Amino acid sequence: MHIMEGFLPWQWCLVWWIVALPCLILGIYQLKKVLAIDRDALPLLGVTGGFIFILSSLKLPSVTGSCSHPTGTGLSTISFGPWITALVCAIVLLFQSLFLAHGGLSVLGANIVSMGIVGPLVGYGIYRLLRDTSINVYITVFLVCAIADLFTYVMTSLELALAYPAATGGVVSSFILFMGIFAITQIPLAIVEGVVLALVFKYIIALKPDILIRLGIFSEKQINAARSEI
Amino acid sequence: MAYKYTLEILAVIAILAFCAMFLYTSATMSGAEFAGSDNAGSGLVAQLSGTPLENFQPLIPQWEPPSGEIEACLFALQAAIGGILVGGVFGFWMGQKKKTESG
Repeated sequence: MHIMEGFLPWQWCLVWWIVALPCLILGIYQLKKVLAIDRDALPLLGVTGGFIFILSSLKLPSVTGSCSHPTGTGLSTISFGPWITALVCAIVLLFQSLFLAHGGLSVLGANIVSMGIVGPLVGYGIYRLLRDTSINVYITVFLVCAIADLFTYVMTSLELALAYPAATGGVVSSFILFMGIFAITQIPLAIVEGVVLALVFKYIIALKPDILIRLGIFSEKQINAARSEI
Repeated sequence: MAYKYTLEILAVIAILAFCAMFLYTSATMSGAEFAGSDNAGSGLVAQLSGTPLENFQPLIPQWEPPSGEIEACLFALQAAIGGILVGGVFGFWMGQKKKTESG
């Protein structure tokens, strides 16, 4: 999902930085608030953020004959919402820009918007939609993680399509072309990521159910049901 | 509790299916190089804008890992940071749980 340094006109770099910055500031504010209320949230942030570090470093082969990486943002999205997730993603993407020549400082705003904001925001929407229903906790986690991953790549496609509309067909046909490269490659990866992170969530529930209940991530009833189910 | 390991089994199946899919793709798809989709995206940008790939220069000067090995090393470092965080916290939680249970 990385847009490479120099591959986005400066005007678009500026637009995406303007979108990303308020979200990051909101993330800092929310993080301070969560940690002031409950210091036990810090280890949970460590685990959920750790998976963003691990999964976004794994470049995996896919059906299209090219490689891509999962994002790992789903767990953090469920636990802390999209703004704090954006903050963690910004750290990972900054590391990759500075040391790996993946992305870059001018396109960092655009990459934060796709991986840290839009993907998690869509995932968070799914979570809010399913949280208060009778749907199994693990299915919710699976869907949030897979969809947050996939929409990161949909957003990257949109960012590139807006900057580079096709000569015939404009933004729409350009978007379809970029989706062919990014989103199709991502489908199998998103499914595996969803299953693996649902499994990780099972271990979090097994070890630290109280923090999930205290932060209001899932209700006590749902957590107890999830513990006895699997 | 009859289905205690359902999620573990599903995860193993998903990973095995993913591996099988890779083996199938690499065996049957001619010209599959398994290069990064980011680079494929950059290629399409060059094609759509009609600008040769080498004409895209960084807007902000950027350090590049001098070789693939060093890049792999730094990627492994990134994964290791994540691994330490995840392992450390799970260990911490297990310790906490043991302490609560024993006393």
